[in-house]
Amino acid sequence: MRGLVKGLGITLKNMTKPSVTHRYPDVPLPMPDRFRGIQYFDPDLCIVCNQCVRICPTDCITLTGKKHPDPEKKGKVIDTYDINFEICILCDLCTEVCPTEAIVMTNNYELAVYSRDDLFKNMEWLHQNDENVRKENNLNKPNLAPGGNKK
Amino acid sequence: MNPVLVMGPILLLFVVLGFVTMAILFERKVIGWIQMRPGPNRVGPWGILQTVADVLKLLIKEDIIPSKADKPLFKLAPAIAFIPAFAVLAVIPFTESLQFSQFAVGILYYLAVSSITIIGILMGGWASNNKYALLGAMRSAAQMISYEIPLVMSVVGIILSVGSLNLVEIVEAQKQVWFIFPQFLGFAVFFIASLSELNRTPFDLPEAESELVAGYHVEYTGFRFAFFMLSEYVYVFAMASLTTVLFLGGWNAPFGLTMIPGIVWFVLKFLLIVFSLFWIRATMPRVRVDQLMEFAWKVLLPVALFNILLTAVLQEVPYLDFLYRL
Repeated sequence: MRGLVKGLGITLKNMTKPSVTHRYPDVPLPMPDRFRGIQYFDPDLCIVCNQCVRICPTDCITLTGKKHPDPEKKGKVIDTYDINFEICILCDLCTEVCPTEAIVMTNNYELAVYSRDDLFKNMEWLHQNDENVRKENNLNKPNLAPGGNKK
Repeated sequence: MNPVLVMGPILLLFVVLGFVTMAILFERKVIGWIQMRPGPNRVGPWGILQTVADVLKLLIKEDIIPSKADKPLFKLAPAIAFIPAFAVLAVIPFTESLQFSQFAVGILYYLAVSSITIIGILMGGWASNNKYALLGAMRSAAQMISYEIPLVMSVVGIILSVGSLNLVEIVEAQKQVWFIFPQFLGFAVFFIASLSELNRTPFDLPEAESELVAGYHVEYTGFRFAFFMLSEYVYVFAMASLTTVLFLGGWNAPFGLTMIPGIVWFVLKFLLIVFSLFWIRATMPRVRVDQLMEFAWKVLLPVALFNILLTAVLQEVPYLDFLYRL
């Protein structure tokens, strides 16, 4: 009998508490840094080393390079860079392996589309995906600069 | 024909329909707040059109009648369930002037007519020609008939005190003290039994969504299903009004605050009852089916009978009889 009254008291008190739900589709849900979201790609940094393609466990990245337009310079520049988000598992390996941080993770995650074709994202799209880029990627960290822990 | 006599019930119907729409929304809101979520808020501002959208959805659904069903009965059952729910409102006195009819056996009329709904439910379960619907209907009927007895018995204390079955006289007898105080046992039994009569949690076994498919209305869709639901919520309106009239003093103002009109007091008390129904629904778990019948016959009925005895005895006690002989 006392339990019933107690329960009623608890529910009545709960009514005044703020709701714990998110207004998600209306208000974006902020993700913590290190969240593995849709990649951001910077073509200027890419050296066409192909490491991301080789490490990718689902083979969802395809890229092509071309010779550097300036004949003085060595190496290649990126020509096309596509990620197929039908099979990308957002495992973070491509961004881990990238030596120049040309490809980094962002906190964006909304990939739902009506057509499977729309999940095939090209270089332009990935470059425009420049919001909520992960702050903690290696190049942005001053004392973890490439070359190890030199002061 | 007197136009007031014609327009009055139609107006009441619209008031009741408006109440049902808002009550369903409010119920979902209250349960939402209690569970620390906002409740329906997508349709219209503050979710105000949620019930309208739900009903609209039900109305445009395909009207399915199972091929093996007893068609005339199947069509008749929702109407038989709904009509008494609205008919009982005829005797509820909302204020001194706002009442549709006043006759000597008002409370008896309410209790008698409201039990016709059980036939509608049984009919719906039978006509569906579905074993689950039939079982659900049998359970509903058993529950509603069992709880009708303590419900009636708990009112006898009031009838003894007032010496009348007329609801207006019952309200007028509560000018000094509301019956919830001298008849507290009666109120407790009445309230619990009315929860069960309304098929609301913790006694919502007939249509326990989380356990059964639906109970007696498994085979019903669209408009007919909406009618069963409507009659349920009209009963909430009727039962909350009756509780207000019997135990909370109807339109009588507490603490002599008579400058606030009676209808406001009535509505406030009525809303308090409706809120407690939702509050209890959000708090209590469902009772087990074997506990259900035992509770009605072995707890509520003896308590109600004891209340009658107590009232009869206290009528003879000096200094206390003013509470019991009005």
